[in-house]
Amino acid sequence: MTTSRREFLKAAGAAAAGVVASPAIARAQAKKGVPKEPVKIGVIAIRAGIAAPVGMAGLRGTAWWADRVNKAGGILGREVQLVTEEESSPKDTVERYRKLILQEKVDVVVGGISTAVTLALGPVAEEMGTPWLSWDGTTQKGVDETMPNPKWAFKSVDNEVEAIVAGLLTPKYFKGVKTVAGIGNDYSYGHDCWQTYQAVLKKHNPDVKFVLELFPKLGVTDFTSHIAAIQQAKPDLLMCSFWSGDATIIMKQAAAVGLFKSMKGVFTTAGGVHDSLKKEFTPEGLLLGYNSMYFDDPRGSLLLKQFVREYKAKYDGYPAYECDHAYFCAESYKAAVEKAYAASGQWPAKEQVAKALEGIEVQSLSGKRSWREDHVQMCNFYQGITTHKNSYDFATITPIEVVSTKQAMKPAGAKLLDWIANWKA
Amino acid sequence: MTRHLVNIVMSGVFHAAILFLVAAGLQVVFGVQKIFNLACGSFYALGAYTGVSAVGMYTAAGGPPALFIVPLVAAGLAVGSVGWIVERGLLRFVYDRDETFQLLLTFALVLMMEDLIRMTWGTAPQSTAGLYLVYGQARLLDATVPVYNLIVIAASLVIALGIGWLLTRTAFGRIIRASADNREMAEALGVNMGRVYARVFTLGTALGTLGGALVIPATAAMSEMGIELIVEAFAVVVIGGLGSMRGAFVGALVVGVLRSAAIAFYPELEMLLIYLIVIAVLLLRPRGLFGGAAA
Repeated sequence: MTTSRREFLKAAGAAAAGVVASPAIARAQAKKGVPKEPVKIGVIAIRAGIAAPVGMAGLRGTAWWADRVNKAGGILGREVQLVTEEESSPKDTVERYRKLILQEKVDVVVGGISTAVTLALGPVAEEMGTPWLSWDGTTQKGVDETMPNPKWAFKSVDNEVEAIVAGLLTPKYFKGVKTVAGIGNDYSYGHDCWQTYQAVLKKHNPDVKFVLELFPKLGVTDFTSHIAAIQQAKPDLLMCSFWSGDATIIMKQAAAVGLFKSMKGVFTTAGGVHDSLKKEFTPEGLLLGYNSMYFDDPRGSLLLKQFVREYKAKYDGYPAYECDHAYFCAESYKAAVEKAYAASGQWPAKEQVAKALEGIEVQSLSGKRSWREDHVQMCNFYQGITTHKNSYDFATITPIEVVSTKQAMKPAGAKLLDWIANWKA
Repeated sequence: MTRHLVNIVMSGVFHAAILFLVAAGLQVVFGVQKIFNLACGSFYALGAYTGVSAVGMYTAAGGPPALFIVPLVAAGLAVGSVGWIVERGLLRFVYDRDETFQLLLTFALVLMMEDLIRMTWGTAPQSTAGLYLVYGQARLLDATVPVYNLIVIAASLVIALGIGWLLTRTAFGRIIRASADNREMAEALGVNMGRVYARVFTLGTALGTLGGALVIPATAAMSEMGIELIVEAFAVVVIGGLGSMRGAFVGALVVGVLRSAAIAFYPELEMLLIYLIVIAVLLLRPRGLFGGAAA
C-alpha cells in the first residue's frame, strides 16, 4: 500500500516539480574541456507530511537557482538539470539516493531535511563517492557529531544553533527573567533545542529556574491543555521551538487566553512559517527566529530582494530560510566546479569538486555563506523582536539581530555542552 | 487553584467536543454497517480544509467577521456529501467481504484523501487567521476561556442531543436501530438497505467533516491532522463501547479531560494515560462502558 502511494506521489511530483530544465539554455556553449551534455543535480526533498512546506521551500530555492544559472549560460556552459526524488523514511530515501547516483548518474546530490534521514544518508554518501550537500539535515545524534571527518558528505548547520542564538539574545531583551518554561516537539530536535537553550541561559544567569517542560507529539493540533499547564506554572518566559503549523496554532491558542500578557515569549524557529503569524494573534515583543534568512532585511542583498520579489509574484507568499539553504548548496557546487576548472582546465572529477567545496565561500540569498573545513555550513542567523509596524498582515521583527555561526555554533570537534560550559560569562 | 481546574476542565472539554463528533461518526457507521471506518480522520481533515476555504471566500466577499461561523458550518455539513459518493462508489462493494478488505479499503481512502488534500490545498498549513478571536473571551470562575471554545462545546452538545432525538424519536432512527440489530429482518420487512447505508454513511461523514470545520478557527489545517485524531477517536470508541452513541459521548469526555489533566500534572503521561485506561477497559469490561452484548 505504501509503495503504491509513493509511486503515485512520484508521478504527481514529476509532473509538478520533477525534472526542471530550462529551454533557455539551448544557446549556451560548453567551454573547452567541458562535456556538452547537461550537468545533472539530484534533489532530495520532503513533499509529504508536516515538513512538506519546508521541502517545498527548498525545491523552490533550487528551481530559482537553476533557472537563473541556465539563463546565464549554465555551469561552464553546461545546462543544469534537476532530478527530484522524495525524502521520506531513512530506508526508502537511501534507496532513492542510490538510484539518483547509479541510475540517473547525477553529478551531485543536494537536499535532506530530516535528521533521521540525513543520519542515514551520511554514510551512504561516503560509500557512493558523490558529493552530497545537505540543506537542513545534520549527521548529529542528538547534539553529538557522528561523522567528524567526512569526504563526500556536506552537512547543514547544527540543529541547536537557533536555540543558542535565542539563549544569547534572551538576557539582552528580557531582563529579570527568573523562571522559564519550555515547549517543543517530542523528538530529538525539540529536546536538543530545549537542553541547549537552558545551558546557554544558565550561563548568563545561574539562578534562572526551569519550571515546566512540555513535549507534545509532532502533529498535535490542539495545545489548549498545554497552555493551561503553562498558565498554571506561571513562568516569566516561555521558550518554544515549534517550526511548522504547530507554531501558528500555539500562537493563536495562546492569544485566545492572553498568555503573552503575563509572560515573555521566545520562538526560536517559528520564522519558518512567518507569513502565517498574523498580527491578530501574534503579539509584539516576542523574540522570533528566522534561522538563516530574513526575507524583509532592509540591509539584504539585491539578490535577496530580487528573489523575494519573484517568489511573491510566483507563489503569492514570502520565502522562508529553507530557500536559502537550498540556494547555497547549489551555488556552492557551481562555485566549486568553477574553482576546480580554473586550476585544471578540465571539468573536475567528483573528488576534485568535493575538495574544492571545503572552505569555499559564495554569495547566497542571505549574504555570504561558506562550508567549514569539516563540511558544516556556516551562515548568519536572524532573530529579533516581533512588531506590527509593517505593510504585511503578519508580524515581522525589529530590531534585527544577526548572529554568525562562528559565534553560535560549536567549533569542529567540540562537544556542545562542554563548549558552552567553557564560555567566558 | 479554581482557575487552574477550570482551565484544565475547559480545555479538556473543548478537545472532547471535537473528539465526540468524529467518534460519533465512527460509531454510527460501525453500528449499522459494521465497517470500521479508518477514513473518519480524513473526513475530519477534509472538513477542516473546506472550512478554511469557505471562510476565506466569505471574508474576501466582505462578510461580517462575527458571522463567519455560518459559512463554516455550512461548508462542514455540505462537504459531508462526499460520504454518499464514497459509500455508493466504493464501500457498497465490500459489505459482504472479509473485514480485512473493508479495513484496507478505508485505509486506502486515508492515503488518497491525504494526497488529494495536498494536491488541492498545497502543503503549507492553512488557517482562518485571527477569526478565532472575534468572539472575545469569557471569564469563568476566574479563568479566561475563549468564547469560540464555548460555542464549539455548545454545538457539540446540541448535535449529541440531535443524534439522540434522531435515533430514538424518528422513523429513520427506528430503521437505523432495527438495521443495526438485525439487518436481514429489517430487509425482510421492506427496508431498502442500500439507501439506509448511503444515508448512514453520509451522516457519519458529515459528523466528521463538521468536527473538522468547527475546530479549524482554533487551530490550523495540516494534511496529517486526521491521522493524529483517529488514534484518539479509537481510544474513545474502545472506552465507550463500539457502536454506542452514549459511549462516544462519555468516552470523548474521559479522553479529553484526562489528557488535559495529565498534561497539567504529569506531562509525560499525556498519551500513555489514555492507553492505560483503554487497556483497563479492555481487561475489565471488553465491551466498553456502554457497549452492547457481543454479537
